[in-house]
Order: sequence, then structure tokens, then C-alpha cells
Amino acid sequence: MEEEWGSPKFVAEQFQRWYAQHSHTIPAPIELPQREFAFLNFFGRGMHRHIKLPTLQELQRYLRQNAPAHSYHSSGYYDDPTADMTRKGWLGADLVFDIDADHFELPCQKVHDKWWCRNCDEQGTGHLPEICKCGKAQFTTETWICEKCLQAAKHETHKLLDILIQDFGVHPDELITNFSGNRGYHVHVHNNDFKTLNQHARREIVDYIMAIGLEPEFQGFSQRNRGTRSTLAMGGWRGRTGRALYDYISEAKPEEIKKLKLGRKASSNIINNKEQVLETLMERHPSNITPLIDPKSLKTVLNEALGLQASEIDTVVTTDIHRLIRLPNTLHGKTGWQVQTIPYGALPDYDPLVKSVVMSGSPVKLEFKRAPKIQLKGEGYGPYNEEEVTLPMEAALFYLCKKGARVKNE
Amino acid sequence: MYFCDIVKPRERNYLKQVKTWHQSRDINDKACHASNYSEMMSEREAAKYPFIQAGVKLVEGLNLQLDDLTDPNYRKVLDRAAERVTEAIIQGEVSAKLAEPLTELLSYPIAVMYVTLIGEQFLSRRFALAEAVRSYNLLQQEYEDKIMQIAEDEFSWNIVKDPEYIDGTQHNLKLRFSDYLRSASGFHEPKWKLVNRKMEDGFVSLTGIEAARLIQVEVDNWVKERVSTPSKFSLPQEIQSRVDAVRKVFEENRSKLGGSRLPEEIINEAFPPCMIYCLEGLLSGRRASHMERFGLTSFLVNIGMPIDQMVSFYTDVTDFDESLTRYQIEHIAGLKGNRTRYTPPTCATLRTHGICRNMDSICKTVSHPLSYYRKKAWRIQRREKEKAKETQAETSNTTKQE
Repeated sequence: MEEEWGSPKFVAEQFQRWYAQHSHTIPAPIELPQREFAFLNFFGRGMHRHIKLPTLQELQRYLRQNAPAHSYHSSGYYDDPTADMTRKGWLGADLVFDIDADHFELPCQKVHDKWWCRNCDEQGTGHLPEICKCGKAQFTTETWICEKCLQAAKHETHKLLDILIQDFGVHPDELITNFSGNRGYHVHVHNNDFKTLNQHARREIVDYIMAIGLEPEFQGFSQRNRGTRSTLAMGGWRGRTGRALYDYISEAKPEEIKKLKLGRKASSNIINNKEQVLETLMERHPSNITPLIDPKSLKTVLNEALGLQASEIDTVVTTDIHRLIRLPNTLHGKTGWQVQTIPYGALPDYDPLVKSVVMSGSPVKLEFKRAPKIQLKGEGYGPYNEEEVTLPMEAALFYLCKKGARVKNE
Repeated sequence: MYFCDIVKPRERNYLKQVKTWHQSRDINDKACHASNYSEMMSEREAAKYPFIQAGVKLVEGLNLQLDDLTDPNYRKVLDRAAERVTEAIIQGEVSAKLAEPLTELLSYPIAVMYVTLIGEQFLSRRFALAEAVRSYNLLQQEYEDKIMQIAEDEFSWNIVKDPEYIDGTQHNLKLRFSDYLRSASGFHEPKWKLVNRKMEDGFVSLTGIEAARLIQVEVDNWVKERVSTPSKFSLPQEIQSRVDAVRKVFEENRSKLGGSRLPEEIINEAFPPCMIYCLEGLLSGRRASHMERFGLTSFLVNIGMPIDQMVSFYTDVTDFDESLTRYQIEHIAGLKGNRTRYTPPTCATLRTHGICRNMDSICKTVSHPLSYYRKKAWRIQRREKEKAKETQAETSNTTKQE
């Protein structure tokens, strides 16, 4: 029988081997008895959920015995985690964030991501178009990862942590930052003020972090406002709005500004009087900007600029009070990497392509379908195209988990 | 049935107090009973704000019966209670009549009783809001310290005084964001969005008036909780007649107070742009997000599309599995699972999830896709009626000429 792409049996064995040795190192999430757990294995058959693992021993034993492909716990706390959704008895939930490079528009996706239209023969690279030329939008995709995507995700995570700490007053001890084991980062906030917030309140928090619905007039940018000082150094969105505008205007090329189709005066001021605009932002109250850039144009510019300060989080994950989120320090079945907790302060130097690659073993001979290059533990691999290669275990597992290859049995 | 069984303990205590004090004299003869200044003050406070705990502490231990209310001494109270509900129905706002504090404070629990006896959800909501507006109006006249004290004592807010100027306006208070969001996340105006507030270290800057506006939401919830369960029992004539009178006012005004219905037939042209976006996505086969599918399905369920029609629509344009699709639609329609019929997400939620697209002029006046649909359907129907009239007029004209 021909070996399946991805060789799930082989990968499952490696996961078993790893969990046998390392399950005792996996810590329990706080308030363990109130959490629901859920797991996926390598062979389909749906998700095992509504599981209660009330002690650390039981949790670790479960992982050792089942070596799941994907492990999750609920962000929520329940009276009875094993009941179905309507009878669980919701007590509260951590505030959780998911930052996934998959949601960004990045140049590197042009290099490593591909799509095919299932309706016609059209194909392309990078992000999916909304609709194919043929009028349908049924695509098959192949998405990969590189250090650039991960860097972009890390940058968004930094912005998120800054907002949580500075604006929301979250103490660093109440934050858990995890590498997601794939294309991004997860942030969990354990704090009683967040715990019982409903979906509407969480939606407001999402809007705050992404600057959705931000109106310049409430950040000082209105002629009706009075004030003497620049807001650039201020906390919250008052400061961020000014800094985003400053950074955007100082970097923007004239062509970019022209593309925005601003009012004639605003456009000319930003392009030709850049110094005056920047100096006004730096030295004076934002109400002094309105004579230089009319309100409508200002809104358009801010639409572009606010992304520099806002954090690109997944809106659904944070507003969902029953979310299942990856259990920190377990393995991710789509990469073979570890979902790692990163100590506060260690994020800037954290390199997931070194640190999270935790499995090792004897080299494996692989048969490749197609796979781009990647740098793991400082070693470069690929790209591979319909060829046979023998790779060290850590690289082999990655390509197998991504289903770009299969084990070549002699 | 005892009156005290249907009013909550706190209201019951007011009545206990009154019974001991005023068994045989005018209940508003303050000089007779207010033995000291502070007692008089808290009485007045309780009359202003029916939710404050100070009223509870005034007296204890008694067993006031419904029949006691038939005593002529209580006529004023019964009338004022009926007036409170009537004001809620007609003006949408209860007045504050503080000249007779005891009448005022006692009339509140009795007004609550009237509302639960009528047992109409719409009235309950309207009454709660009207009482909340009354509190807001009174709070606006208080010093900030008083507003803070009420927020802390009655609603456990984490609020501090820390004056600062923002764009030339003095903001004296700072409120913990979680308390802020509990009240403000239901507001629609941009100025209440958290992103448009000054927040630092978890505290949101507020003016005193703004704090009072947020307390209004707390009062609204507080009252709503107390009027949400309908009750039924026989009443003494004196009370029954007043309940009947209030019910009559409510029935007469009901249609005027909005709550107008959705059109009976589905009007495609009245779909809001966000739902058109979801629909077009589905038609093109775009992989729709969960929120898109949920939004569209709950919208279609609510405007009355038959489930069979939706199932065939979904399975025709997508590769969805029929039985799974049916199960999910029936779940949203409240026929399966926890038996609640879901309403579509609000505009704010759709906006957060990137589904609010191509806003038009009607969008700016509504905060919910169903309100958009109702409004636009109404406009379309009105236009059609006018057209029909014109054609009628024209045909009659031509007939005349002929």
C-alpha cells in the first residue's frame, strides 16, 4: 500500500516518544478543575472534547497515554466542564488573543503560499483573491511559514502587549505569551477584572486594540478642542494616534499620498509642507492640525496610519467567551513544533525556529511532493520538488506535519 | 397573597417602616417622625433613588399585608405609583416629586407591582428605562462626590477622583475600564467607544455627568431585574382599579411607542448592505467565516424565510451537507438545542468582525441590521403605495377625459 502524504502513523509515533519523555514538564493552566479540555488525534475521527482533567497528574497522564496531535483547553471556567455547552455553567473566561500571520498581507506569502481555483484552471501565489476570474471562489490552498511571517506576528504581539500593559493596566505577571506552534502567538490574560466581561465588553476591547471606530475628534483632532500641548507623548490612543500620524507622514512617499485622493490642500500640505505638519504634531495641540489637513482627509490618512500602532488580532477568538485555545507547551500537529510559553521580557530575542523545534532523533528518508525552504535551528533546508532527501528528524517532522512529504520506506 | 410576597425585600422594608410610623397619621408629616436630621436625609435620598441601600436600613421587622394598602392613608401612594407607570408609558421618563418623600419612595415598589401585574415585557422595559432616566436627571444635579459615593456603594464601581483637562474640558473622575464597559458597551455614539476615551493604567477619564449617564444603565438593569417576572393574583378593588387604568393607558399608547413589526413578506430590496455582502459571498462560493454565515442565517430566520427554502438555498449554492445545514439553521431558529431563537449580531459586532461593508445613508441611522430592514421595507412600501395612488389618480383622470 502506498504511504499517505504526511505519514501520520510515523508522526504519531514520534509524538508518543516525545510525550513519554516530556509530559511531566507540561504545567497545568490555572484554575484547572474548571477548564474543559479538547484533543485531536492524527487519524481524523473528530474532536474529543468536554473532557475534565482536574489534577496535574491526570492532565499529564492523558497526554502521555494519548500523545494528541493538537491539545486545547477552554479559555472559560465552568461549573461542570464535562456538560454540553448549554449546561456547562459559565463562570468566567480569560481574555485571550490570537495573532496569526495568516491574516496579514505579507510580501513573503507571494514566495511560499499558493492557491488553485477548483472551478477553473486559474492559480496564483500569496493571499487568496476574494473572487476568482471565473466568478467563483472555491480555492485549494497551500500555506507555509518563514521567519518573515513569524517576525511580523511577533511585531503585532509586541504592540498588543504594550496596549494591555499601558492602557489596560494589566500587570506583566497576569500575562501569558505563547508561541502558537505555527504562524503566530497567543496571549492569555488572567485578571479578575476581565474574567466576567461579556461578549459586548470584549468586542469593545477588540475595537480598542485594533483602533476600530476611532474618531480623530475624540483624540484632540478637532477645531472645537482646545489645548496647549502636543499629545504625542501621551498614553492611550491620544498619543498613539498622533504618533501613528507622525510616523506615517514622515515615511510616506508622495505617490502613496496621491493615491489616497485627499483634499487638494491637505495633499499639498502633507507632500510639500511635510516639515510644518510634523512640527505641528510634535510641538502643538492636535487641534492645530485641522487647518493643515481637513477632517475628511485626516480620516483617510488615519485609516492608513493607525495600523502602525494598532495590533492585528483575530476578532473572533477574543470575543468568544467559550473559546478553545492551545494548551501551552504541548506539540502542534501541523508543524511538530512546541506551543511555548515565553517569559515576559524574553519575547524580543525569542526565535521560534530555534526554540520551539524540540523533537530530535535519527535522520529520516523522505519523498517530497513540493515544499519551500525553511531555516530550522540555524540550518537551511529546501526547497524540494518531487525528490528524495534524507533529513534530520526535526526537519523531516516539519515537512511531514505540513504534508509536503512522506516517509520513504526501503 | 401578601403584598410583601411580591415585592422584593428592600421595597418591603420601606413598607414595614411606614406601617410602624404612620399607622394613623398623614404619612408625609415629616416633622412628626423624622427624629433627627440624618434620618430625614436618608429618607429623602431613598425617595430620590429607590435603589440605594440606605432605605433598607431605616427600619426592620414587619408583616405588611396587601389589604393594608387599602387604608385611606395610602391613597396618595397608590395614585403616585399609577402615575409613575403612566409617565413611563407616555413620556418615557418618570418625574421626581420629592415634596412628599415618603409618598415618593413608597410609590416605587407599588409601581413595580403594577408593572409585574400587567406582565407585558415591552412595558417592563419601558418602565425600567423611564425610572433609570429619572435617576439620571436627579444625579445630574448632585455633586461629583455624591455621584461617586452612589457608584461605589450601590454598584461597587472602582472609581476615583483625579481631575484633569482633556481638550479644554474638565474630567474629574477616573473609572476602572471593566466597570466602564459593563455600562458603556451598549451605547452607540462614537464618544462612548472605549477607543475614543482617554484610558491609562486601566482607568477611563470621565466627567461627573458622564458617570451619571453610566449609572443610568445600572439603574435600568436593576429595575429590569425587578419587573421582569409577571405575577398574577387577585387584588383589593382599590388597587385593581388602578392597575386597570394603567393597563388601559398602555394599550392605548402601545402602537405609538414603536415596536413596529417586520413586514410579512420578504422584501429583497430592503436587505442591508452587510447582508448583501454575505449573500454575494455565498453565491460566489467564497469561503465565508462563521460570523458571516451566522449573521446571514439569523437574519434570514428573523425576517421570516421558511427553513426549507433556506436549506435548499444553502445547499444549492454551496457544497454544504444538507442534514448538517438543516441542523444548523434549526439551531439558530431555536427549534434545536437550547431553544433560543438567535437574533442577528448588532452593527457594532459586524463592524468588529469586518462584515460591515458599503454603508449607506440608512446605515448611519440604525444600529442593527433588522432595524435597517424594517426601515427600508417601510420606505419601499410607502413609495409603492404612493405610486399606486398616483396611477389610480391617473387612470381615473384618463377615464374622466374619455
